[in-house]
Amino acid sequence: MPVIMESQIEALRSEAVGAIESATTADTLETLRVRYFGRAGAIPLLSEGMRSVTKEDKPRIGKALNDLRTTVQGLLDERVSALAAEADAAALSGIDATLPGLPAPRGSIHPLTQLLDRAVKIFRRLGFSLADGPDIETEWHCFDALNTPKHHPARNDADTFYLPDGRLLRTHTSSVQVRVMENEVPPIRIIAPGAAYRRDEVDATHLAQFTQLEGLCVGPDISLADLKGTLEFFFRELFGDRTEIRFRPHFFPFTEPSFEIDIRTKALGNSWMELAGCGMVDPAVFAEINQRRRDFAYDPEMVSGFAFGFGLDRLAMNLTGISDIRMLVENDLRFLKQF
Amino acid sequence: MKLSLDWLRSYVSFEGTAEALADLLVRAGLEVESIEQRGADFPNVVVAQILESSPHPNADRLSVCKVDDGSGQPRQIVCGAKNYQVGDKVPLALPGAVLPGDFKIKTGKLRGVESEGMMCSAKELQLAADADGLLILPVAARVGAPIASLYPPDAILALEITSNRPDWLSHLGIAREVRAFTSATLTPPAIVACATNTDPEKATISAFDQCPFYSVRRISGVCVGPSPAWLKARIEACGLRSINNVVDVTNFVMMELGQPLHAFDAAKVDGPIEVRLALEKEAFSTLDGQDLLLTPTNLIISDSSSVLALAGIMGGAASGVTADTSDILLEGALFDAPSIRRTARMHGLQTDSSYRFERGVDPDAILSASARAAQLIQEVAGGSVDSITITAGALPPAAPSIALRPARCRALLGAAIDDEEIRCFLSQLGLTELTASAPEFQQWQIPGYRGDLTREVDLIEEVIRLGGIDRVQGIIRATPANSSDADGMYDDIMRVRHLLAGLGFSEGRTSTLVSRTIGAGTPVLEVRNPLGDDQSALRSSLIDGLIPAMERNINHGNSSIRLFEIGRIFRVSAEEELTTVALAMTGRRAALSWLTNDEAAMDVFDLKGVIEVLLPSAVIEPITDSRLATGWEIQLAGFVVGIIGIVHPATARAINARGPVVVAEIRMDAIASVHEQKRMRFSPIPRFPAVARDLAVVAPLALPSAAIQAAFHAANEPLLASINLFDVFTDPSGSKLSADRKSLAFSLTFRATERTLTSEEVSSSFERLKAALREALPVEFRE
Repeated sequence: MPVIMESQIEALRSEAVGAIESATTADTLETLRVRYFGRAGAIPLLSEGMRSVTKEDKPRIGKALNDLRTTVQGLLDERVSALAAEADAAALSGIDATLPGLPAPRGSIHPLTQLLDRAVKIFRRLGFSLADGPDIETEWHCFDALNTPKHHPARNDADTFYLPDGRLLRTHTSSVQVRVMENEVPPIRIIAPGAAYRRDEVDATHLAQFTQLEGLCVGPDISLADLKGTLEFFFRELFGDRTEIRFRPHFFPFTEPSFEIDIRTKALGNSWMELAGCGMVDPAVFAEINQRRRDFAYDPEMVSGFAFGFGLDRLAMNLTGISDIRMLVENDLRFLKQF
Repeated sequence: MKLSLDWLRSYVSFEGTAEALADLLVRAGLEVESIEQRGADFPNVVVAQILESSPHPNADRLSVCKVDDGSGQPRQIVCGAKNYQVGDKVPLALPGAVLPGDFKIKTGKLRGVESEGMMCSAKELQLAADADGLLILPVAARVGAPIASLYPPDAILALEITSNRPDWLSHLGIAREVRAFTSATLTPPAIVACATNTDPEKATISAFDQCPFYSVRRISGVCVGPSPAWLKARIEACGLRSINNVVDVTNFVMMELGQPLHAFDAAKVDGPIEVRLALEKEAFSTLDGQDLLLTPTNLIISDSSSVLALAGIMGGAASGVTADTSDILLEGALFDAPSIRRTARMHGLQTDSSYRFERGVDPDAILSASARAAQLIQEVAGGSVDSITITAGALPPAAPSIALRPARCRALLGAAIDDEEIRCFLSQLGLTELTASAPEFQQWQIPGYRGDLTREVDLIEEVIRLGGIDRVQGIIRATPANSSDADGMYDDIMRVRHLLAGLGFSEGRTSTLVSRTIGAGTPVLEVRNPLGDDQSALRSSLIDGLIPAMERNINHGNSSIRLFEIGRIFRVSAEEELTTVALAMTGRRAALSWLTNDEAAMDVFDLKGVIEVLLPSAVIEPITDSRLATGWEIQLAGFVVGIIGIVHPATARAINARGPVVVAEIRMDAIASVHEQKRMRFSPIPRFPAVARDLAVVAPLALPSAAIQAAFHAANEPLLASINLFDVFTDPSGSKLSADRKSLAFSLTFRATERTLTSEEVSSSFERLKAALREALPVEFRE
């Protein structure tokens, strides 16, 4: 009897090994699993035979039966994984990864905005806050308070847009300086980005409306050295360490001394580009502000300051390499999406 | 202003090149727009005379000439030109000469005949852009003389001069600046002063505000004719036209000293000269033939019968100096700058004279300029100058001296420049220090030509201009900055920009100035002096700019357009300027791709989805807006914060759109406020599973879906966690659903926070909801 049983175990083992190895689908393997391990499967049937095995044979045959169980189960599991791996590989191998992806929505931020944002971030690192003022300004804020002579050509109808009520479209964001000083006391450290308007016929290098970034710093013992250090830092951060910066004496009614800043850098084609105006706030500006405030918060003997301003449009034009400034306002998506 | 380097050198010992001068001037604060080289500065190019000419034996087009180069030894030159005659004087490049383009002249054979040099055209010497044949020189040219003696080399610098420095509008003024920066020697022209006297019989002023000082000098027996070559050359170098010797001298002195002068033909001046304001509609004919009608704000020079000149701007045709003039009256005056500016602008007459008076002339130079001109007129036109110059009015008193505190100077500049250096810089500029009373002050007397220096800070500027900005070592003293309202707004705007870019929108920037006809119906703020009708008003909506931008992109073949702009709009309202966000969409929803075949066009719900991202709690209510075929107000907490809608199909067709054009505009502050309210608070994530049930609600077509959603909420069913509308079905044929009904399919999610729901609980909740809906609305349910 034991001999018979042992040979049955052996026969089942060799049959199962052959059947499992030759199985090619998960379904076949499932059928085999049921055949060997199901309720009426071959292995449970054999196990029933254990009851008639003698006491001394039991351990030996029991072990052989256990071995069979483990072996068949192991082979089944192995074969199932192997087939799954084969199926996965087959499923994945068909992918042509060179096909294009599904286009994700992709918008863009205007290059002028991006440039402005870079500038704002640099000044914020230097402890400047933002300030704001209206586009429609009074003549006082735009000119008088900034020491512009009554008959200065900039005030002409030919150069400046006026509203019927005598107000105007600010010709520079410097009017924000005035608004800040009107309402706040020193120390002041602000930048003011915004639109400015000049009555220029629009052409490849001129827009009647442009974007400026203005800055003002007022406090005790602010000197030209602060102005120079701040703007040198700014332009090197914006254009790189190798940027050459030239301060050229100039004239503005609202600063004294006044300078124009020229930049020479690879990104701008290695030739000098006139970029910004700056200077030490003219005491006449402080005097106008004090008069308006009816106090002496801006006593020129107690505080001094520097101011600067520059246009972003021409800079964006040079940085991006466009030859016509109008591209910045044409809103052609073929242009906008490049940035 | 045009500056001649050669002329400049007659007043200052500047030996550098034009480029070196330009560098110096830029450092001084002048802008040099261009440098133009003039003349013919070529060694080994001389004046030669053609002695004989014979045909070339081997070439029809060439001739063989014998020329005299001044050496006494005739030279043989082969020549291709035909425009000469034997006896003509021409430029000859001798062997060794180098012409422009590195063209080296050597002795060589041309078609077998030796040529010992080359006769030159004007083009070859860069004296003209183009030239046919040889340059024929004046008969008087001396044979053998270097060509540079006939065409002296010069460089013309075009300068842009800031309005504060009228003293730079003359050669002497620039020479002073060169001296200040280089310590070169300054040699102003020698001028002999002349005695003056007042004589109301000869000259009076009746408008002192406009003309504080007037002088007139008589020169008798002049011979008016062409100017000598040197004078003509100087005038023309500065871009002025030579008229005659007398007028040229006045222009010469203007370009030399900066003081405009005017010469009248004394024979045509009737009675005493009066400087007065014009009468209403007084007539005046200018030198250049314009007939003007004057007004009482115009300052004029008149005699007893007529207007002689528009003061400081232009002389009259009748009193001008002509070939017949023998006696002249030479005017030198001080006119009020604003008055000249207004009159010049009123009549559209901008002259070299008005340009200088508008900016302000040196009062100290008026009489010396007139004396200088009288001297030169005598030199070039003969005649005799009256010993007495008649004057009227008075020159303004010398400007008060200015105190400079060296310590203040150092503090403002942030630079270590010691007292002595400051002294040195200011002296170099021609300022004179008065006897110092205390070491903490330097008291400076300002020369008349520096009327721009009136305050201590002006002197400080001069110190750093002379010292150079390199003397200042930049420093950075950053301090913490409080965040302002503008900072908050800026950050919110940037956040929205990034959000919209992430949602596929591209940022545009459109013009603030638009046509006043845009936005018809609502009042707009207009510009009084627009550049054109299309830029005559301030935009009252950003949408007006985005529609043309869409048109441009459609016409470029763009099939899917999503644009946004964040900018200011302007309204006739207490809140005049407002920042808004505008969105515009048209075209395909999905990009062309092999993965999908969604060719559907975007509609208002695409845009509404974006609004729901920007303003999650907004509700919309229908409105009428003239620009929109169908429009809705966007409301937030009961306030209108924007609009959304579909542009009129006619407008859409006009911009060649193939599908709906949808737009929206929202107040930026509303979007910012929503962001502000968002607290960084965590809502617990549900721990127990949810159960979903679908419910198809059949409702009348006109019933808004929002009413159904509201009814769900109103039922206050505690287990209902969310509702999601996933299908809208209508059947116009009426076969599956009555044609006046629609079916809205909702997916309802039920959940309890503390336990897993049983199917019975869900069912009873579901039934309660149905009952509540049926009660509130005329709806049924589809199974």
